[in-house]
Formats: sequence, structure tokens, C-alpha cells
Amino acid sequence: MICFSSWTGLKALGGQDPFLSCSLLCPHGVFGKAIQALSRISDELWLDPSEKGLALRSVNSCRSAYGCVLFSPLFFQHYQWSTSVKVNENDSKTSNLNCKLGMKSILPIFRCLNSLERNVENCRIFTRSDQCKVVIQFFCRHGIRRTHNVCFQESQPLQVIFEKSMCSNTLVIQPRVLAEAVVLFTSSQEEVTLAVTPLSVCLKSSSDEPMDLTNSVYSEMFVGPEEFDFFQIGVDTEITFCFKELKGMLTFSEATHAPIAIHFDFPGKPMALSIDDMLLEANFILATLADEPSRASSQQSLCLSQKQKRSDPMCSPNNNSKTGKNVTSKAPGCILRKTAPKRLYPNETQTDIPVLENCGSPIRKRVNGGDISEVPESSVSDTEETPGSSYLRKFSCMFFGAVSSDQQEHFNHPFDSLATASDTEEDMNNGRSSTF
Amino acid sequence: ENFFSEFQMEGVSAENNAIYLELTSENLSRALKTAQNARALKVKLTNKHFPCLTVSIELLSVSSSSRIVTHDIPVKVIPRKLWKDLQEPTVPDSDVSIYLPVLKTMKSIVEKMRNLSNHLIIEANLSGDLNLKIETELVCVTTHFKDLGNPPLASEDASQDRDPEQMAEVRIDIRKLLQFLAGQQVNPTRAVCNIVSNKLVHFDLLHEDVSLQYFIPA
Repeated sequence: MICFSSWTGLKALGGQDPFLSCSLLCPHGVFGKAIQALSRISDELWLDPSEKGLALRSVNSCRSAYGCVLFSPLFFQHYQWSTSVKVNENDSKTSNLNCKLGMKSILPIFRCLNSLERNVENCRIFTRSDQCKVVIQFFCRHGIRRTHNVCFQESQPLQVIFEKSMCSNTLVIQPRVLAEAVVLFTSSQEEVTLAVTPLSVCLKSSSDEPMDLTNSVYSEMFVGPEEFDFFQIGVDTEITFCFKELKGMLTFSEATHAPIAIHFDFPGKPMALSIDDMLLEANFILATLADEPSRASSQQSLCLSQKQKRSDPMCSPNNNSKTGKNVTSKAPGCILRKTAPKRLYPNETQTDIPVLENCGSPIRKRVNGGDISEVPESSVSDTEETPGSSYLRKFSCMFFGAVSSDQQEHFNHPFDSLATASDTEEDMNNGRSSTF
Repeated sequence: ENFFSEFQMEGVSAENNAIYLELTSENLSRALKTAQNARALKVKLTNKHFPCLTVSIELLSVSSSSRIVTHDIPVKVIPRKLWKDLQEPTVPDSDVSIYLPVLKTMKSIVEKMRNLSNHLIIEANLSGDLNLKIETELVCVTTHFKDLGNPPLASEDASQDRDPEQMAEVRIDIRKLLQFLAGQQVNPTRAVCNIVSNKLVHFDLLHEDVSLQYFIPA
């Protein structure tokens, strides 16, 4: 594991380094399962402490899946964290612990606990950003203490904006029911489709190429509305998403015994699977397949056409892109009203918030599908485009968008914000707001 | 036909009133696994762009609402000219016919023997004795089953000529025997083992209305 600390460009003048110290009972339980679920998404895990608790985040390499499990401070026996405040001339920036761990390092630590369940009494996690490692200690019976030092890379966590409450369709289901549906499919099944109408919900196997059909079994299961704890279907739709990610989330949810909420709209727009319970909040955002005639269109062309559409404020209602960027078209004001734990980007100071609210006043109309109807003028002056953004635009970012404080810039280059989770000073100056 | 509550079929023609299908058995077994607690199960031969065996399952869920599960398993319809390849083989009359012991016991014994050798000898006689033997360079292991009983023989001539104590034996691949035994979940109503000396063992099981025959050559 590479031990890596990047130069931030800002020297700390007074103030301590960001750090985290927490301890929990039963690390093999929900906490360990959360890490396992996130490991299905990607090989990297961010540890992201805040006043809301400790968030574990993971994003896959093609940006089509994102997971975040936020453990509230109540979950821990002891929870302590801090940011560092760096004062630089007229500005002060808070800097968080930007800690990214390799799954290969951390997953085995929590996974092998299954066999030692009875022996582990307590677990303590401690890190400071000036050390380049996270120390995980297990206090076991008979006075045994196991210490693991895991090096981390300094990296700002990526976050996602997703307005769950704005989704037309919401289903809440017990994990057991979903587990019963999931056994229908083989582990080789790549994608599944969820088809809903106000009268029924169907989960079925889906396949890209027609060739596959002659060899593989097609399965489907219809579930009636009465099996859901909450059933709200605003629009009949069929969405297709990655099965592996669903399974990962499902295993985790079975450990929490809490119902799973599924929020979604139309194909192409990301869907959210979430669990909300007293001690934790988990959100898994998955990209869904769009109803495109030619799926073979290159990523680049996707982005470009997206760009063209975006340039036209009066764009057509059916925004058929795989990117689901519609989400990002929301006014920041809306985002701040979100029910999900709102979390500003680490490098954003408190002063940015009022600015964003101003941006938000000419409200984008959120028509069923979230097309962009208007773009409010940005009152933030910072129009600087970050250096690496052009290549990042071509990147297959499916649905991310952290809203930048600069609406105009964001409008044209919706992916900048996620791309610019870097440590350069310029990026830090582009205030970014986001949520999960 | 008594096995099914509903049975409808139409073969290729009146003279050849049969349909031969080829499919991946794992697909069917997995589909049927989801039907373990089903209220109803229906199997249909359908054509959804290509021939499929559609298995429709009605499950009763906890909240007493029913769920419908459907699996479309791709199948190949075998043309009539190939049917003769799939006919039941004609088997010489067996030398010994004996009832099998409890299959579960037999399975656990054979599983243990599997670790020692790839081949197993089954021998039986008309006095109700059955032996399972393995022979390797280092060790010989034999399990003896007694008083199993023999079914009445079809041809009386054979039974009179044969010494009841004389063993008929056949040496078979142990993995094939295990495959057969592994599939047996429930004790059959009747289980018979027929041995053609040094040639073949034939297992004939009857589960109520269903008969299963399994041939393993030497």
C-alpha cells in the first residue's frame, strides 16, 4: 500500500491536524458488513469523519456506482474527530481528514473477524492526517490486542447529489423479500431490470446482447404492492442496473435488519437504495441503463451531446442519456433542502452557503424526469476551469455531479466537480457543494 | 400422467407422439429450486423467439399474497431422426437382482470410499447379500450388506440355474455411482439393483408414480 501525502498548498498555521478516533463494539457486525458491501463497488474506501458521524464511501472506477454508509456518533462507544483549520491570509479553510484506504488492506481485517466473533470485545480506529496510517485495534478476550496499521492515501472523497425525495417512485421493502427475489438469478447475471406499475413490481433478468438469450435462462418475479412497507409509484417505468451491486447492498441490509428504500425514476436516471436507521444511514446510488437506441455510442459522444443539450436551456423533456445528469441540474437551493445528510465538500467554508442559496432562486422546474428548463445566473465569480477537466469530461462518469458554486461553469462541464477532487489549491477555491 | 394434476401434450405426429428436448440440466434444477415452497408449478413448452421451457411458479409469501415467478429455460428440440440415439439401451438380462439398502447409508459409505479409489466393485447374490468393495495397492475396504432381499426374477430358468450364494460383480467408476446417489433426496418406494456380470449395473427406482433408471457400464 502506498503511503502518500500530497502537498495541499496551504500550510497550517496553528490548529491541529484533522484526526479521527472512535471505538465500537461488534466490529464484525454491521460495520464489517458495510465495508464488505462497499468492497463490491470498488477497491478503494474513503474514511470520512464529520460532525454527522463517520462516513465510509466508495465509488467504482467507471463512476456508475457509489456507496456511502454514514455511522452516526451514537453508533460508536466513543467518537471524536476534528478538522484542521488552516488560516491563510484573508481566508480560512477547513480541511478534513482525506483518507482513502485500499479495500485489499482493510477488508481482510474486518472479514476474518467472522471467525473471531466471540473473542473481539472492542475495536478502536484512530488516525491523524499527519501520520499516514490508520490504526485499527481489536481488543479481544484474555487481554489480547491486535493492531493493524493501514496506510492511506490522502484524497478527497467524492460525493454524490441525489434528491431521493424528488423521485417519482419509492418502494420500501424488507431485505428478506428482496433476498428471495435475488436467488432467482445466477451469479453470472450481470444486470437486472426492475419494472413497476401501480399494480405490480417485477424484477427480471435482462441481457444486453440478443445472443445471450439462447443460452441463458430468463427469470422474472412479480411481487404485489402489499408486500412493500411503502409503495409509491408515480410513473410506470423499467430500470436496469447492475446486479452485483444490488447483492452487495442486500447482504449489508440483512445485517441491519432495516427495510430498504428504493428511489428511482426513469431509465438513465440513477437509482438509490437506502437504509435509514437510528444509528446509520446507508445510500447506494447506482446508474441505470438509458433507453438509448444506440448503446454503442462512445462515452465521448455521450458527453458532447449532453453538452449540447445542456447549452440549450429549453431542452426537450426526454433527456435520454445514460448520465442522469438531470440530477445536477437542480438548483443548489433544492439540494440544501434534501433529506439526506447534507455534507458540504470539505474545502468549502461556511461562507459559501449563502452564495449558493442565492444561486438557487430562479428555480429549475423539475418536470418528471428532471430536464433542465432554466439556468440561474451565477453570482459567484469564480469561473476558473480546472486544468484536468477536459479529459475528465470524456470520462465515463455516469451520473455524478457535485454542484459547483459556479452555475455557468457547471452547466457546461457537469463533471468537473467530481473530477476535481484533488488537492490543488485552485480546486479548493472552487467551492463545491454536495450532499451525500 | 397420474403424477400431474394437468397434462397436455402433442408430439410430433400421431405415430410419434413424443417430444425430445435437450437442455442444460443445471438451468432446470436451479429454476425448480426456487419452487421449493410453491403453491403451484406449471411447465410449458413455449416459443419466445426460440424454444423455451417455461416454468411458472406460484409462491405464497408470508404476507399471504402470491408471487409469480417465471423462468424461461432455453431448450433445443431434437429432430425425429436423432431420436433413435436416445432410446433406452437394450440390456441383457441381469445375473443378479437385489433390493438396495437405505440409499443415504450407501451414499455416505461410497463418499468415504471415493477418497481411496476411483473404482468400486459392486457384487451381489441371490441370497440378499450386497458388497461394496474397493481395492488399491495399499488397502482393500469392503462393506457388507446382508438380508436385503431379492425381487422375484422374471425368468424362472435363470434363477434355478444359479447358485444363490454366487456373487455377480461389476467394476464401475465411483464418481458415476456417487452422482446417482447424490441425486436421491427421498427414499424410493422400491429400489432395485441389477447386475450384469462385468458389464453393467442397472438401478431401477420407483417413487410412487415416478420411475428412474440409471445404467452404469463397467
